[in-house]
Amino acid sequence: MARTALITGASSGLGAEYARQLAARGTDLVLVSPERDALVELAAQLGASFGVEVDVLVADLLVKRERAQVVRRLSDPARPVDLLVNSAGFGVHLHFDRNDIDDEVRHLKLHVEVPMRLTHAALGPMLERGSGRIVNVASVAGFVPFSTYGACKGWLISFSEWANGRYSARGVTVTAVCPGFTRTRFHERMGLPRREMGLPRWMWLDAREVVRGSLRDIARGRSRSVPTLRYKLAVALSRVVPSRIVGSITGGRQ
Amino acid sequence: MARTALITGASSGLGAEYARQLAARGTDLVLVARDEDALRELAGSLVAEYGVGVEVLAADLLVSSELERVAQRLTDPRHPVDMLVNNAGFGLPLAFDRNDIDDEVRHLELLVEVPMRLMHAALGQMLQRGSGRIVNIASVAGFIPRSTYGACKGWLISFSRWANGRYARRGVTVTAVCPGFTHTSFHERMGLQPGQEGVAQWMWLDARDVVAESLRDIARGKAVSVPSLRYRAIVAVTRVVPARLLSRAGARGRR
Repeated sequence: MARTALITGASSGLGAEYARQLAARGTDLVLVSPERDALVELAAQLGASFGVEVDVLVADLLVKRERAQVVRRLSDPARPVDLLVNSAGFGVHLHFDRNDIDDEVRHLKLHVEVPMRLTHAALGPMLERGSGRIVNVASVAGFVPFSTYGACKGWLISFSEWANGRYSARGVTVTAVCPGFTRTRFHERMGLPRREMGLPRWMWLDAREVVRGSLRDIARGRSRSVPTLRYKLAVALSRVVPSRIVGSITGGRQ
Repeated sequence: MARTALITGASSGLGAEYARQLAARGTDLVLVARDEDALRELAGSLVAEYGVGVEVLAADLLVSSELERVAQRLTDPRHPVDMLVNNAGFGLPLAFDRNDIDDEVRHLELLVEVPMRLMHAALGQMLQRGSGRIVNIASVAGFIPRSTYGACKGWLISFSRWANGRYARRGVTVTAVCPGFTHTSFHERMGLQPGQEGVAQWMWLDARDVVAESLRDIARGKAVSVPSLRYRAIVAVTRVVPARLLSRAGARGRR
C-alpha cells in the first residue's frame, strides 16, 4: 500500500506489529522510539526477513529537539513518507485528582500534541503529491468517558473523522484505529497486573489481528477502524446507551 | 449557588456574562483575563451594581508563570473558590494544513491543557471540602467533527462526563456547557464580520440565555448542558447521523 511508512512507538506493542506487517508487504520503514536497542534489533530482523529498507530514528517525542528530527524526516522532499502511523503512547491512572499534573500534561502532549504536529508536518508534502495515508492509533476508550485517556483518544477520533472528510478528496486519507484491550506491554508499563486485569478473556485482542484488520480499513481510506466484530458491536452500543450509564461504569473503576 | 467563582476569559463574551449573572446572585468573583483594563471596568460595574467582592487577576494563561498564579489562587485554603468556570478560548480558521502549527499548539493548550491544569488545581481543595462546581465551556462543535476546535471541545465533553461520574458522589460536579453559535466577539476576533459568518439567523443564541440556562444545569450537577431546545435537538440528531455527514455540517461558520 505504501512505499515508505514512518511509525512512532515502533519498539513494542502495536507499533512493532505495524512494522512487521508492513515490512511483510514490502514497505520500507522509518522506526521511531526512544528505545534504541529495541529499534535496532527490530530493524535488523525486519531487514533480514523481508528485505526492506529500515531506518532507525531514536527520538523522545516529548523532547523538542528530538521531535524536530522526526518532523524534518516527514517533510524531506527527497525521501517521501507515504504512510504515517502515530502509535506512541502510554497510560496514566484513572484517579485524575491524585495523578501528578505534569504526568497528565505529558500524557496529553504525547497523545494529542505530538500526533497533531506530525500530522501537520506530513500533510503538506502528501497534499502536494496528492497521496498519502495518516493513521492515528486511538482506542475504543475514545467513544466512552474514560478519564483523560478517553478524552485524548476521542480527540484523535474526532479530528481524524474531520480530516479524512476534508483531505481524502485531495488524495490523503486519515484513519483513527480504535482497538479494544490488546495484549501488549501497555498495561504492564502502567503497573497493572500482567494477566487479563479481571476482564473476561473474550475482551482481549491479539495485536496481530488488530493490525491486520486496521490495515484493510486504512487501505480503503476509512476515517475510523474498530478491529473485530465484538468491539464494533460494543461501539455501536455505546452510541445508544445513555452516556450517564456508560460514565458510571467507566468512572467507577479504579 | 457558589460563594466565590473564578472565571477565565472573563473580560468579554460568555465569561463576562457568567460574571454578571453570578454577581446578580450574590457570588463573589475572581475575574481572569489578559486585558486588565477591561477586567477593572467590569469589576467596578459589578461591585457598584451588586455589592459583591470582585478580584481582578490579570494573566495570560499561555504564560506558565501567569497560569501558575491562577492555579495558586485556586488552591489558596484561606480564600476557597467554590466554582471554576473554564471559559477562555479562541478560534482558528478550519484549514488545518495551512494554519501555523504553533497557533494550533497554542489553541490546544488554551482549550485543553489550561482547563485540565486548572481543574486539577481546583479539584484537590474541592474534594477536601466535599463541595464544588467545575464548569468547562465546550461547544456543540464537540459533538461533530470540526477540525481541531471540535476535537478539543469533544475532549472537554468526554472528560467532564467522566469526572462528573467519578466526583459527584464526593460533592464535586463537573459540567460541560455546549453552546451553539452565540453572539459574542468570538467570530469577529477571527475576522468574520457579523452577518458574514454563513450561519442562518435562527441558529444564533444570545449569551444571556446561554448562561442563564446553563447555570440551572450546573446547579443540578448535570455533566452536559446544551442550552436551547433547538441545539438539544441538533445534538440528539448527531448521535444517530453517520459521522461522515456530520463532518460536512462542521464546515459552517469558519473559513
